[in-house]
Amino acid sequence: MSLNFLSPLYLFGLLGITIPIMVHLLTRRQQKHLRFSAVHLLLQSQKRSIKRSTPNRRFLLFIRCLGIALLSLALANPIFSFGEPSDFLPNSPSANVFILDDSYSMGTLADQKSYYTRAVDALLDMSQSLSNESVYSVASASGPARVLLDWSTGSSKAEELLKLSQPSSRTTDIGQAIAEAFRLLDSASQKKKRVYILTDRDKNGWNEESFSLTGETRYPINIIDFSGMRQGGNRAAVEHIEVRQEFLSNSRVIRVKTKILNLSQTKPIRKLKVSLWINGKKQNEGALDIPAKSSAEKEFSFPLKENVALNGEVRIEDDSLLKDNVRFFNYQPNRTIKTLVVDGDPKTIEHQSETFYLERALNPFSVSLSNIEPTVSTLAELSTRDLFDYSVIMLCNVRDLPFGYEQELEKFVMRGGALFITLGDQVDAKFYNERMGNILSVRLQAIHQIAKDGEPFRLLIKPSKHPVLKVLKGRTLEEMKSIRFHSLYSVEPREDLKLTVPMSFENKFPALIESTAGKGKVILFVSSIDRDWNNFSIQPTFLPWIQRWVKYSARGLDSLMLKELLVDEPFSREEPSEISQTYIVLPGGKTTLPSFENGQVTFESTNRPGIYQLYRGSSKADTNATLFQLPPGTEPAGSFSVNIDTTESSSIKITNEEIENFLPGMDITYSDGYQKPDLNGSEGGSPMSTAFMLLMGSMLLFEGWLVRKE
Amino acid sequence: MSDKTTFDSDPEVLSRIASLNICATNLVEGLLSGHHRSRHKGSSVEFAEYKDYSPGDEIKHIDWKVVGKTDKYHVKQFEQSTNLKATILLDTSGSMGYQSPDPRGMNKMDYARTLVAALSYLFLKQYDAVGLSLFNENVINHIPPRSKPAHFQHILHGLATMTPMGVTRLEGVIGNLVERLPSRGILILVSDFLTKETEVEQKLKLLVSRGLEVILFHILDPDEVSFPFEGDIVFESLEDDPQVGLDPEDIRETYKREIQNQIQHYRSCCAGQGIDYVFLETSTPLEQGLSYYLLRRKSLGKSGT
Repeated sequence: MSLNFLSPLYLFGLLGITIPIMVHLLTRRQQKHLRFSAVHLLLQSQKRSIKRSTPNRRFLLFIRCLGIALLSLALANPIFSFGEPSDFLPNSPSANVFILDDSYSMGTLADQKSYYTRAVDALLDMSQSLSNESVYSVASASGPARVLLDWSTGSSKAEELLKLSQPSSRTTDIGQAIAEAFRLLDSASQKKKRVYILTDRDKNGWNEESFSLTGETRYPINIIDFSGMRQGGNRAAVEHIEVRQEFLSNSRVIRVKTKILNLSQTKPIRKLKVSLWINGKKQNEGALDIPAKSSAEKEFSFPLKENVALNGEVRIEDDSLLKDNVRFFNYQPNRTIKTLVVDGDPKTIEHQSETFYLERALNPFSVSLSNIEPTVSTLAELSTRDLFDYSVIMLCNVRDLPFGYEQELEKFVMRGGALFITLGDQVDAKFYNERMGNILSVRLQAIHQIAKDGEPFRLLIKPSKHPVLKVLKGRTLEEMKSIRFHSLYSVEPREDLKLTVPMSFENKFPALIESTAGKGKVILFVSSIDRDWNNFSIQPTFLPWIQRWVKYSARGLDSLMLKELLVDEPFSREEPSEISQTYIVLPGGKTTLPSFENGQVTFESTNRPGIYQLYRGSSKADTNATLFQLPPGTEPAGSFSVNIDTTESSSIKITNEEIENFLPGMDITYSDGYQKPDLNGSEGGSPMSTAFMLLMGSMLLFEGWLVRKE
Repeated sequence: MSDKTTFDSDPEVLSRIASLNICATNLVEGLLSGHHRSRHKGSSVEFAEYKDYSPGDEIKHIDWKVVGKTDKYHVKQFEQSTNLKATILLDTSGSMGYQSPDPRGMNKMDYARTLVAALSYLFLKQYDAVGLSLFNENVINHIPPRSKPAHFQHILHGLATMTPMGVTRLEGVIGNLVERLPSRGILILVSDFLTKETEVEQKLKLLVSRGLEVILFHILDPDEVSFPFEGDIVFESLEDDPQVGLDPEDIRETYKREIQNQIQHYRSCCAGQGIDYVFLETSTPLEQGLSYYLLRRKSLGKSGT
């Protein structure tokens, strides 16, 4: 049976009991001696009197001394054991892996110190107090998990590595980190092995999939919580930004829509300040009320003064976690809509080709007028094209698609691309009906042709509120009545897809069917786009009509073009062949060289949120040289924004039960980050700190009661 | 003699007391005529009556003229004023030497000395005999009663030279002294009565039964009555009790009750035995307490004669 102390230095606190003794002696009433006549009466009275205050004062002194002694003993981490002290004392060598949660949520400030700083301090403290034969390693808990420091002894290496470090902008992945830690421990020769997780216990970091990696290995785990399971310090986060410019009206107004998330489960936010910053200047400001556990949107709009790229950010007022209070975006106004026109019926005589009129209508003189840049391709060339280089794909009288290409097309539409299909005599209705069912909202039924001298099909002309058609009024609309359709496909809607029919014929046959698939739009024109089946393409209304439909369908593409990168997602872009080098200026102002091969720029170190500026240069740079500024002759080539993944901002903490579900059957202990964990493994003894603390508390209560009584 | 040991009764007090014309309420036997009328018949200048001679009468008192005329033997009797024999018993035990840390007037011993001196002077001024016995556990000085004015000096000397010490043993002292006291007269007992003895009452009864008129002066310091002390105090006994350390606050009420019970006990027991009981706190001006008492006695005496 033994009582040992893991932090014996605190035993010096026992000297503290001199304080109440000194106070007692100094404040004690001077004892006087008095020669008195009726002492026998005093003795008699004393026997009869109930009050005895002198012993009380001495008893109080005793209680106070005992209280201080208990506090000192409790801080000294007493371990009581029925066995010998050597069973659990620090001498046995151990292998320890510290999993340091360096996700951005660890940057949350509490009492002017971030959780991360506290965690690093605790880690260094623990590494210092390890016995000489013990080793430790440090792994990062932010995804992807990696070993920051391999097996080491002494705290100097960890100090070198971590002292000036900052939390990353990544999200947590505890499961992966535990798997990494177990892998490390498997290689350690020490008998005693243990994992310490220094974390804020954000629930989003505990994913079921990543825990499957831990396998059957079992090592004791100590989870040290630095957030104190607190919620509410981090109030809100900027979750999403969407920038739009009205294409159809060629408006000069830019609209920035932002979504702000209230992270509190219970408290609504009143008048949260939201501001929009463009190119480093505050453009607009507003306030937002957000109900608890919910989000709210705020839209800013401002006129575009010049046609330059906008690098902006949306900020909300500061809370305890600064990283999620800002979100970056970049936007290239008046962007050209790159359109891939697939000609299903090309002819050697140019004007007989299916797309002859279409190409001219889309781009009558130059891109600057229509903002549409059509690229005509034959069906054979289609497989060499990357659909994601285009905003709109137009299939004109295409018989069918190369094998498996319909899936590419589907992916393109789902991610926000626009698909415009026109029909004709080449079209294989069976293919369309069977293979493109996921995106095409109608089935092609039959071709309807009029007799040689019969009355042609005519469009049903009526004023429409559809964004594309609403500008067609009066005379223009009348002119459309004169369009003659000789042939067309009749269609029947599919049950599972929603569709609208903005235009139809006088015989109630739909002329144009619009539907949405994923983020993108699919538009089907039931007749041909050349002069084979109608004379629409030579009508004056054809040009505005087709341009507006292309621009309209490309609207859903904004999100694709502005696809925001999250931290650690790679950036890649094709560059013209004459460019020999590209440079990237990082958010901090540092310049770096991305990898550049075969005209493809790839940059993977997007580990900081912010705006990354891309520059082109004509001369080849020395890839080993450290760049402090851009070499002369470089010119800007756009920018892209990188943002954090706001799932990490969530303030929901994982409970002990949930952790135990993830790690069934494992020996898990929990401690508070403010408390020094029992590093040297006190598995053999019972910690007595709490008992001593409780005893001290009751002593203080008792003392209070005595003082009050007296 | 130093100032401390000399008798320092205030002349003003003495003369003020002297102006009071004390009249004894009872007649006592005495040789000298005075203001105290004796109950005993004896030779004197003032004829009272004749009485038949009986053997044992002094022959010189036979009125021979009456024998010649009537042939019968008559003896002349005279009514005479006699001197009173007063004995003062002064307690000189250690407890009488109590000095208050915050004096409000004389200390107990000086108060008692002054009182005794004043009473002695009073008696002597009226040609009464006065004696003094100083005692603690024993009688330490006994000055027999005399009526000569010069006797006052003896008494003063006795008072001046005594020092308070020892333990109060009232029962033993009274028991010893009762044989030496004149069978009639006044016995004045001056003490603080701070004694553990329980049979003082019996002894007082004995004195009364011997025909003595007993007067008790119970003198206490105000401290001994109100117990006003504060703080942690170790009380050391002036007699033979062990010392005791306590916070007076704790026992003040109990103590006060105890001392009042004791005073009440003496008061009631004296009343029951025809003993005059006077309680004096040393803060009470001596002349005030004494004159009040003498006036009371005078009025009682008048009503008795």
